[in-house]
Amino acid sequence: MSEQAGYVPVVGAVAEPQPAPEKSYRFSEQAIQELEEILTHYPDKKSAILPALWIAQREYDGYLPPQAIQEVADRLERPFVEVEGVATFYTMYNLRKRGRHHLEVCTCLTCAVMGAYEVVHHLEKRLGVKVGQTTSDGEFTLSEVECLNYCGAATVVQVGDKYFGNITKENVDELIETLRNSNEFTPADLANAIVRLHIPERTAKK
Amino acid sequence: MAETLVLLKHRDVPGIENIDIYEQHGGYAGLKKALAMERDAVINEIKTSGLRGRGGAGFPAWIKWSGIPKDTKKPHYVLCNADEGEPGTFKDRELMLKLPHMVIEGMIIAAYATQSAKGYIYIRGEFVESARSIRRAIDQAYKKGYLGKSICGKEGFDFDLYIHMGAGSYECGEESALMSSLMGERGQPRLKFPHAPLPIHEGVWQSPTLINNVETYAAASQILAHGGAWYATMGTENSKGTKIISVSGHVKKPGNYEVELGYPVLDMIELAGGVTGGKLKAVIPGGSSVPIIPAELCKDFKLDYDAHQVVQYSMRTMRLPVVGSGGFMVFNDKTDIVVLMRRTAEFYTHESCGKCTPCREGTRWIFKILSRITTGGGLPGDIDLLVNICDQIDGRSYCGLGDAAAWPIMGAIKHFRHEFEYWIEHKRSPVGEDCLPPAPEPLNPLLTLTPV
Repeated sequence: MSEQAGYVPVVGAVAEPQPAPEKSYRFSEQAIQELEEILTHYPDKKSAILPALWIAQREYDGYLPPQAIQEVADRLERPFVEVEGVATFYTMYNLRKRGRHHLEVCTCLTCAVMGAYEVVHHLEKRLGVKVGQTTSDGEFTLSEVECLNYCGAATVVQVGDKYFGNITKENVDELIETLRNSNEFTPADLANAIVRLHIPERTAKK
Repeated sequence: MAETLVLLKHRDVPGIENIDIYEQHGGYAGLKKALAMERDAVINEIKTSGLRGRGGAGFPAWIKWSGIPKDTKKPHYVLCNADEGEPGTFKDRELMLKLPHMVIEGMIIAAYATQSAKGYIYIRGEFVESARSIRRAIDQAYKKGYLGKSICGKEGFDFDLYIHMGAGSYECGEESALMSSLMGERGQPRLKFPHAPLPIHEGVWQSPTLINNVETYAAASQILAHGGAWYATMGTENSKGTKIISVSGHVKKPGNYEVELGYPVLDMIELAGGVTGGKLKAVIPGGSSVPIIPAELCKDFKLDYDAHQVVQYSMRTMRLPVVGSGGFMVFNDKTDIVVLMRRTAEFYTHESCGKCTPCREGTRWIFKILSRITTGGGLPGDIDLLVNICDQIDGRSYCGLGDAAAWPIMGAIKHFRHEFEYWIEHKRSPVGEDCLPPAPEPLNPLLTLTPV
């Protein structure tokens, strides 16, 4: 093929090609077994991308660095970009490291009129961060999220796999204290809980 | 008028989420009756009942059920849409949490009627608690022989049920986007009939697929247990049966209430204990996508699939639904409708999947203009500009998300135009300072929500 005549590449408009992420797999023996079980649920490997990303999010400390996406892509024999495209589409896949507790405050319609913004402003002051940031000690990440569909108990806050209902700016301090004293790492706990939900009891191994 | 409990009849029975207690209260009777019938007779019961899809669109369920091909050249699939995301709705969450077996029973009946061997429940990622309940219920049903090979001793009827968890996307509640997501893709919608085959011919993995809402399957189990004719005695001529309405907002007793379709809007507020914190100002009767109803018009509206509101674009008139998914939100007179619409617009801006230009760009424009108005920078032509943008979005995208973004804005402009004008003229809220606290200062200049 001859060079394309008249084609002048636009300098500076194209992102620098990134080197391929290093291949160092971190899936544990249990994770590999879980992935094998999940693969039996679907007619093709591509369909397991979502659950596989949940496994990766657990194995990689509650978020998905490029290595995690590469590992999922390799294990499912799919291109890196395809898995990356899925991982960046869904809001529950964390592309950056989260704090030990990820506070997700619902501020959608009902919660907004029931005082969710007061809770958010209170938390911003109390934790010294803005929405979307993590505290310097890595304990809390504060986020605003769309409807969590528990509007009957507005305002609702999701932390890991748990919902906390009827939160007001008065009782939210109590929640913060309880979480500070717990030793859970909730982003990974959430991913673990979701992975376990895919596994039927008859095949689950302790 | 009181509640009419069909699905939620046993919700307060302790341990009803366990299979033994569920069976003691008439559980799996519908499945046993269905298995004694021919497949077509099962679909006929659904047809007699007049059951319409409970996810929001109200499409007659039996048409989907009977449309699945009678041959099994390709495998058939049964999908349950448990990606409940519509702001204001929380019925599926409670159904799955408290009555998981009812949902599963409905799915097994659907699998029998459509000769499907595999089914998936697509549950949104946040609903871990409800999904645990479903997980336990599926495991119990396998042990009791309601799932697996030769169900209830019926030779040749095998059905496996799997859970597929979502990962945070409102768009995946749309059926074609849900199927994309199940197949491991980005949750974006696909071309619809007549430009592409219906899901009943080519759905998930290019195979015939039946997809219904959680509440629809739960209702199907009760229809088979008690008969379609019994179910059809409830409700109105075109909207038969009961519907779970999730009441939230400024009411004394928010929660899920099951009522016959055709229930008056004002009675619904009474049922939930009446308005708190002031007088009634407006109601959003069916989730954030349906247009708002001001207090003075509430007496004219009933919750059924015939009820509608009309909005006027420059060249066309649209009939918009009232009952939707049943997310009934009540607002008192301290609520600023313009700020509320800004929040609605923010929701759709965040959740637009980005596939179709009118929705992707239009939702952002609506949000920007409403933000401008509610921060004191509104311009005189802004209301007409909003109407124009809504006109450009409505009906011009692959799925209904864009339409749903335009409808509430159009409804609010129709009924509360004076509030928009007040904001633009006086640069402050017509209801005073305590309407809604200002949203947090955005990190991202476009959205206040956390960037991914």
